[in-house]
Amino acid sequence: MTFLRHNWSLASLLLLIALPSPLVAQNLDPADLLNPSPDSWPSYHGDYSGMRHSKLTQITPKNVGNLTLGWAFQTQHRDTIKASPLLVGGVLYFTIPDNVWAVDARSGHMLWHYTYPPNKGEHIGQRGVGIYKGWVFFTSPDAHLISLNAEDGKVRWIVEIADVNKGYWATMAPQIVSNHVIIGVGGDLDNLPTFIRSIDPETGKTQWQWNVTPPASTPGGSTGGTTWMSGTYDPHLNLIYWGTGNPTPVLSGTTRPGDDLYTCSIVALNADTGKFVWGFSASPHDTHDWDAVETPVLVDGMFHGRPRKMLMQASRNGYFFVLDRTNGESLLTVPFGPVNWALGIDKQGRPVPNPAKEPAPDGRLIAPDEGGLTNFRSPSFDPKTGLFIVDAHPSWSIYFSKPADGDYGWAGGDYDLWGKGVIEAIDYQTGKIRWSHEVGSGGSGAGVLTTDSGLTFTGDAQGNFLALDTATGKTLWHAGSGGIIGSSPTTYEIDGKQYVLTSGGGVLFAWKLPDTNN
Amino acid sequence: MKRSFGAVLLAMGVAILACQATRPPIYAASDGFQTNQSSGSAVQDAAADVAKAGGELFGQNCAFCHGRDAMGGETGPDLTRATLVLTDKGGDKISEVVRDGRPQKGMPSFNFSSEQLTSLVAFIHSQAAKAKAQNGGRRGVEVADLQTGNRELGKKYFYGAGGCSKCHSPTGDLAGIASRYEGLRLEEQMLYPRDAKSRVTVRLPSGETVKGTLAYVDEFVVGLRDANNTYRSFFTSNVKYVIDSPVDAHVEQFSKYTDDDIHNLMAYLQTLR
Repeated sequence: MTFLRHNWSLASLLLLIALPSPLVAQNLDPADLLNPSPDSWPSYHGDYSGMRHSKLTQITPKNVGNLTLGWAFQTQHRDTIKASPLLVGGVLYFTIPDNVWAVDARSGHMLWHYTYPPNKGEHIGQRGVGIYKGWVFFTSPDAHLISLNAEDGKVRWIVEIADVNKGYWATMAPQIVSNHVIIGVGGDLDNLPTFIRSIDPETGKTQWQWNVTPPASTPGGSTGGTTWMSGTYDPHLNLIYWGTGNPTPVLSGTTRPGDDLYTCSIVALNADTGKFVWGFSASPHDTHDWDAVETPVLVDGMFHGRPRKMLMQASRNGYFFVLDRTNGESLLTVPFGPVNWALGIDKQGRPVPNPAKEPAPDGRLIAPDEGGLTNFRSPSFDPKTGLFIVDAHPSWSIYFSKPADGDYGWAGGDYDLWGKGVIEAIDYQTGKIRWSHEVGSGGSGAGVLTTDSGLTFTGDAQGNFLALDTATGKTLWHAGSGGIIGSSPTTYEIDGKQYVLTSGGGVLFAWKLPDTNN
Repeated sequence: MKRSFGAVLLAMGVAILACQATRPPIYAASDGFQTNQSSGSAVQDAAADVAKAGGELFGQNCAFCHGRDAMGGETGPDLTRATLVLTDKGGDKISEVVRDGRPQKGMPSFNFSSEQLTSLVAFIHSQAAKAKAQNGGRRGVEVADLQTGNRELGKKYFYGAGGCSKCHSPTGDLAGIASRYEGLRLEEQMLYPRDAKSRVTVRLPSGETVKGTLAYVDEFVVGLRDANNTYRSFFTSNVKYVIDSPVDAHVEQFSKYTDDDIHNLMAYLQTLR
């Protein structure tokens, strides 16, 4: 598997698109990730762009009101599903911490269930698997990478990502690029160095590693920058784009002066070597836990009259960024909700943190709250309307930190005061919000999916699944899930029937049109 | 296989409920379960082991939000200062919250065995005792930390720029507020009283109006408690409704405050005992 390299030509890419690429059983050729077939959702974001936009058009604004339940799958666990299920060869693969299921996409019946042994890692969430050929890759709470046989869920090998005893954990869905299984690590309760690492899908051996921060011995250097979200990929530039988390100690910045590079950043690395190409600091010297790991969405299109290869991120710190993804130069930086912690924007398009808004012994009022103006839930980019649609969370909180809180781990305290959920449709060229749709007190954990027929699928704070008109934000369909929505919708077409897959609590729901309508 | 797995879970649930009813309290009070054990070091060691096991469980399931030391972390409150923990007797209150969760505040429920719950409760109490013993150098928000404001300026803000006196009165609803709340809890209440009730008036197609306390609302359904405390709900597509939510003024105020305004207002409110 070495043919997919940086000199991958446009001609060969077109050839691949032109040829039918039938999937053989539970086997995913990594080349299929370049142009996923409609009967698949082969990676966390669905494709490498992270747009979470589907070309499928069977379900339309006109008929979406007839949407009905095809099937539901109950994990019978209390954990909220936070994974994006992968669909390969008619089988769905999804997770909660310590658990992987393989389920028939037509019927919702279980093929196998893998349980990882009890372990003392942090069980905060699990975002799904990566698939390479016939192998499933899964990260465990105690920071191990597990390779399973996609056919039966049997363990092939397990390798350690990082030492759980030091405070590391893992939640992310591995990113597959060519013959690389690219993973990251969680753990900001301790002052730990973090990294992005490429693993050989056959042997489990490390191919390359990029460290987020300078070596621990560097004077004034920071730790942290956890890499807990699967990135995106540009096959022409052969660059992967990942976001990094907050520096540690989290709420106190006194021991780590400066920008704390490359924490709270978007970074571009060579997919084959891990070589750092550029980095953009979304929150220089963060003291509010605003990980910049939200999906770096890759869009090719016009920006102010010029064709551009762009990267867009609605960041947890409250700013919407548009970058030139060839070099990381800023095209636009604008807040997409209440933000009160920056003095302005510097020449490189970075927010300038206001020292007076760092956590203090008597408290500082901060917007957004620590959960952020958005978080790991996926946004979606709709190419027809040019709208970047994000589940936003306008919110306020108070942040505290004092010497007695120390300079290890959290090093302070923050308390949410108020927040709500709003689906916002952002014009990517101006940052102006074209429409907004309130989704309830507290906020919603649902991500966003758009389709070519003009539909936006998401959910509200009360657990209703929603289908909105992408042009206007008007509600066209809804159904109560009975649980907290913690995942982002996906869609696929199987045997001529389009399904929309959503989850509420620990239940997966597959929606379709009534059979008579097809 | 799915079915039998479900049956096991159900059986486990029943077992937990059964154990809860009969479980003897192995530690006595909220203020230090170790210090209340007076019958020798073996008992203390056993209690320490239970708390240690609870600490591991806490690390796997609770530390992300509440901090590894239970003194606050991402989103979750400092449990060592929580009234619920400080008034918990033998796990009576903590167990309930852990089992049922607090969905409105984003806390999930957990399906722990009674032994696991016992150890978790022991750990939380031991952390609370540890924190209390830290006199002075304690991490977290102390009442003393919130005394940087000027009460006269706070009073001026209350009656002036803050607009607080439009709805509140120091001799009315706020009389004795500083006796009911203190420190961080008072400041949170001041900035956004999250238990404040909203009123709703629903006009039915017939022209009849129904009034009550807002109990639920999403895009599709509005629910209320009427004067008899009876729950009634309506499809929003069938009715017209108006929500009167005075607490929204607190949301409007967020973008207007300076941090000094907040500290001054705190100083003033603390005079209302």
